[in-house]
Amino acid sequence: MTPSSHTLGDVVLEADSITKRFGGATAVDDVSLSVRRGEIHAVVGENGAGKSTLMRVMAGVIPQDAGEVRVAGRVLEKGAKSSIDAGIALVHQELSLVPEMTVAENIMLGYAPTRLGFTNSKALNAIAQKALDEIGVSVDLNERISRLSVALRQFVEIARAVAREPQVLILDEPTATLTPAETDYLLEMLQRLAAAGMAIIYISHRIPEVFKIGNTVTILRDGTQVFNSALADTTPESVVDQMVGRELKADLQSRRTAKPGEIVLDARGIRAPGVNGIDLTVREGEIVGLGGLVGAGRTELVRAIIGADNRTAGHVTITRKGKSATITTYQSAIRNGVAYVPEERRTDGLALTMNVADNITLTNRAELSRGAVQLRGKIVKFAQNLAEVVGLRPPIITREAGQYSGGNQQKIVIAKWLGRRPDFIVLDEPTRGVDVGAKAEIHRLVRDLADKGTAVLVVSSDLPELLELSDVIHVVRDGLIMGTLPAGEANEKNVMSLAAGEKMVDA
Amino acid sequence: MAKETLTEVITVAQGDEQQPSKPRSVLPWMAENGIFIFTALLILGAAVFVDGFASLVNITDVFHRAAPIGIVAVGMTFVVISGNYLDLSVVAQVATSAVIFLAVSNVYGVPIAMLAALLAAIAYALVNGIAVGYFKANAVIVTLSTTYIGIGVLRYFSGGSIFFGPEDGPIRAFGTAKLGPVPYSALVLILVTLILAFVLSRTNFGFLVRSFGVNESATRLGGVNTGYVIVGAFFVTALAAMVAGWVLAAFSNTAVSSMSTGYDFQALAAIIVGGTSVFGGKGSVLRTLLGVVFVSVLTNILVLSNITFGYQQVALGILIVVAVTIDALSRKVGTR
Amino acid sequence: MSQTQSLKLGSSDTSFLGRARLVVARRTEGRGVALLAIILVVVSLTQPLVFTAYPVSLGRIALIGLVALGLTAVILMGELDLSVASTLAVSGVVMALIPDVWLGILAALAMGLVIGVINAFFVAVVGINSFIATLGMLFALRGLAYILSDETPVRLTDTDAGIAFGQALIGPLTPRVLIFVLAFLALQIFVSRVKAGREFFAVGGNRQAAYDAGIPVKRRIFTGFMISGFVASLAGVINTLERTAADPRAGLTVLLASFAAAIIGGNYLKGGRGSIVGTLIGATALGVLQVALTLSGIQVPVQEIFIGLILLLAVTTDPASLRAVLGSIRSVRQGRSKSRA
Repeated sequence: MTPSSHTLGDVVLEADSITKRFGGATAVDDVSLSVRRGEIHAVVGENGAGKSTLMRVMAGVIPQDAGEVRVAGRVLEKGAKSSIDAGIALVHQELSLVPEMTVAENIMLGYAPTRLGFTNSKALNAIAQKALDEIGVSVDLNERISRLSVALRQFVEIARAVAREPQVLILDEPTATLTPAETDYLLEMLQRLAAAGMAIIYISHRIPEVFKIGNTVTILRDGTQVFNSALADTTPESVVDQMVGRELKADLQSRRTAKPGEIVLDARGIRAPGVNGIDLTVREGEIVGLGGLVGAGRTELVRAIIGADNRTAGHVTITRKGKSATITTYQSAIRNGVAYVPEERRTDGLALTMNVADNITLTNRAELSRGAVQLRGKIVKFAQNLAEVVGLRPPIITREAGQYSGGNQQKIVIAKWLGRRPDFIVLDEPTRGVDVGAKAEIHRLVRDLADKGTAVLVVSSDLPELLELSDVIHVVRDGLIMGTLPAGEANEKNVMSLAAGEKMVDA
Repeated sequence: MAKETLTEVITVAQGDEQQPSKPRSVLPWMAENGIFIFTALLILGAAVFVDGFASLVNITDVFHRAAPIGIVAVGMTFVVISGNYLDLSVVAQVATSAVIFLAVSNVYGVPIAMLAALLAAIAYALVNGIAVGYFKANAVIVTLSTTYIGIGVLRYFSGGSIFFGPEDGPIRAFGTAKLGPVPYSALVLILVTLILAFVLSRTNFGFLVRSFGVNESATRLGGVNTGYVIVGAFFVTALAAMVAGWVLAAFSNTAVSSMSTGYDFQALAAIIVGGTSVFGGKGSVLRTLLGVVFVSVLTNILVLSNITFGYQQVALGILIVVAVTIDALSRKVGTR
Repeated sequence: MSQTQSLKLGSSDTSFLGRARLVVARRTEGRGVALLAIILVVVSLTQPLVFTAYPVSLGRIALIGLVALGLTAVILMGELDLSVASTLAVSGVVMALIPDVWLGILAALAMGLVIGVINAFFVAVVGINSFIATLGMLFALRGLAYILSDETPVRLTDTDAGIAFGQALIGPLTPRVLIFVLAFLALQIFVSRVKAGREFFAVGGNRQAAYDAGIPVKRRIFTGFMISGFVASLAGVINTLERTAADPRAGLTVLLASFAAAIIGGNYLKGGRGSIVGTLIGATALGVLQVALTLSGIQVPVQEIFIGLILLLAVTTDPASLRAVLGSIRSVRQGRSKSRA
């Protein structure tokens, strides 16, 4: 597959100096981007770089704080309906399908053809079928979404976007949940659509795909646009460099030299939805990294290991000071020295309207109370100490957690588990949405934990971070470990190639 | 200790001073602090404008009527703070407790009667708590069903008849005893309030109830058995309803299955008006007490002004809707 | 270009039995059917009078079903309408107070619509949780009913109209039953064939997606609550006509039974799943149960115990709840059976 070589048409969608803020944080800072008919424009960036936000602004779903969005020269009015009328279709990352309605109804959601208010089934099915045919997918129109596989739902979502014959199609990480065969299928489909004149914006952090079909690439980092060029004029390495913002060197000096000890976590035969049979061990003082692309099953794996989600099979043991315990429920895990820093800190990690001290108290109740009664003085000292240890800025434990920045919030989550002196800690995307400074501090905390003997398991989509922290990396794909790379051998290329299941294209 | 907790609540609720100053919208401030002002104004206004309000007899009567409702309200605060909206079955629970209390004490004496009432409370707590905490069913519907089941059981066993306590019995004595103008029942209310305020703000259990109300997922991932927490919240409510039933029975020295009508609603009104959010997480027992004062004084004013029951209901309904509206709008503004 | 492949899904079993099984698996009315079956069996053995006295049974089913239909419209969107009991009562009172029967009916129905609008306003515009908003309305409207009726039942002025209304119209079917059938058909068509009605499932099933797709969510919420209010006031009118008097305390038993009917019929409280047919099945089950109990001389309080238990059962046995409970049981059992390494 090579990028299409047909000539590109006029500019059809243009974002001009867009800025978008959420509360105090700037998600998108003065970014400009345009896409022509027939062009496949890739937007690349790490997590939290602002790609999704920018797309939602360009699709008219959310309003911008500054700047203008123009469709074929005319300014776009805000609101979902006007953007759809203007010919912009956005395929979200989170599927927006209605589970109990049929495929046909979902494809035409909100736009079902009617006759005097009654749904015109014939017309509805015809249009839905046409959209499915156009993308080359065959599904029973009367099937309910809740009964479809995730991949098929993704395609129905795309059919929905295509059904209204848009001028611009924006896709946000569409291949996250697809197998390589399905991904190829999708990419081919996009090329066909582009050849027919559709303008396509394609958000991804999967660089091989981007180089396969893209004409242009724009790279966002921390909300700003750092790079824009025709793909023919650049290489995957420089794209990655621009994404990360620094030259990639294997930073051997920051690598720890401590030798890992006995096995602490022993997980065997783990099976769960999205996990298809994995064995995993983590030793005392060892940092094990889990690499892989979004949707590979890493979060599902760690949650199944610690019991946060139900396993269908598998046995997990935690061994400390020579004594082993079997982990079944999440509570048994916590009781046995397991700590979990979840992926979504705002919804799963913190009580945002409670203060720092309260958040820290949650996991340390036994130590901070006598019987049933909490000991105020002890809580204050304990929390203050931890706040300083993690470098919370400012270390005011009476401030509401929600008023801190993402990086600080993550530190609060880590602090509460630090208080328990865990034997095994899982961190899922520990620096997502975290500023560069806090990121470095969190890395330091993780390394300190390991130095003190905690067994650490890190899930990260941030390759440089994974490489920097881990003593050994397991690359996960489709719920299985595809390969294991010790620190000395791992580099971005081989991790990526194992993650994507194919060799990377050399520029 | 009580004062310290209340101040603390206000401090935490108002957020941190070091935050870059946002324009302080009136609405969230009013949602937080309006109730103090309104209650004070209400009492002052009543004393001045409403005939008969400021008399000793009336004040005592207000205390008497406020006590059982207030006890239920402070107990139910736990359920509301946990994010489970409310416990409709308090109506059934109070009546059950009152009837059991009088009926059993007439035959077996007060301590056995209390034990029997306790058993009933535990039953309610378990059914409600397990359905909501483990089956994750909607609390409104669950407690709706237990209300009917409970009243049904009560009416079946009591035959709908009215029970009387002996004129010279200990229950009657308690019901008529006073400390100055303050009847014992109001003292019980204050005692229960203080105990529950302590539990909510200073114990691990109370902490978990609050934490669950703010973020259920984070609380569970903190290693907490959230089922226990919910059962506990309903248990607190059940115990409070049980005590309220005793107090109510003592005050009137009678017990009948219909005597607690409207308790769920008045308790909810008191809780919401006091500033506890119906969405869960924010609130306190002391605020509920304040809400109880407000609602009781308001009801008293309406009664003294010869406003019929119907209008009282409408007034309370409007009050709840207004209070929840303020809460909802101030959340939208975002500073809450 | 590599060859295009087709990605296929759907059961490859296109035999009749295979397709039938698929249809059954998609349906939500399972528990309702099970309950109905059990009740019918038990009743036919213990109280067959229910079937011979079918006008009474049909009438009861019609009343519960009517209110439950309105509730279903709201529940499908993921909301609740607790005020239906008071809407029923206050509409009845309003109707009885107006001497002219037809004007009274009109006023009562208009009242139901207005109440629906008010409820929807608080839920959709102000953003109050529908449980609390409609609970507040439940009490406020009851108060209104008490005020208007002076706390006593209001006699209907034109009692002849009331008596006429109780007479069978077509065969054994009274106007009450006919109205219910009409309402059922209307709502079934609305929810399955009318675009706005179909969108109720979206509003309940994935509200964010509904907004994003340009569905006028707020308008749908207004429609839903107006349906619920209208239907409740219709039930109030029927109630008043048949008893030739309006009681401000009416509606409380019907509230319980209607909720039980809608929920056991498979309408999930979180919204987006369920059916009108399920509500019909649930209403039938509960109507038959209630009549059977009444005919057996069982007092109202005990009847309410039965219905309350069914509601409790209904709300704790939907798939989501069962999954929650079984999940925790399974984990605990896993812990007990594994031996220490």
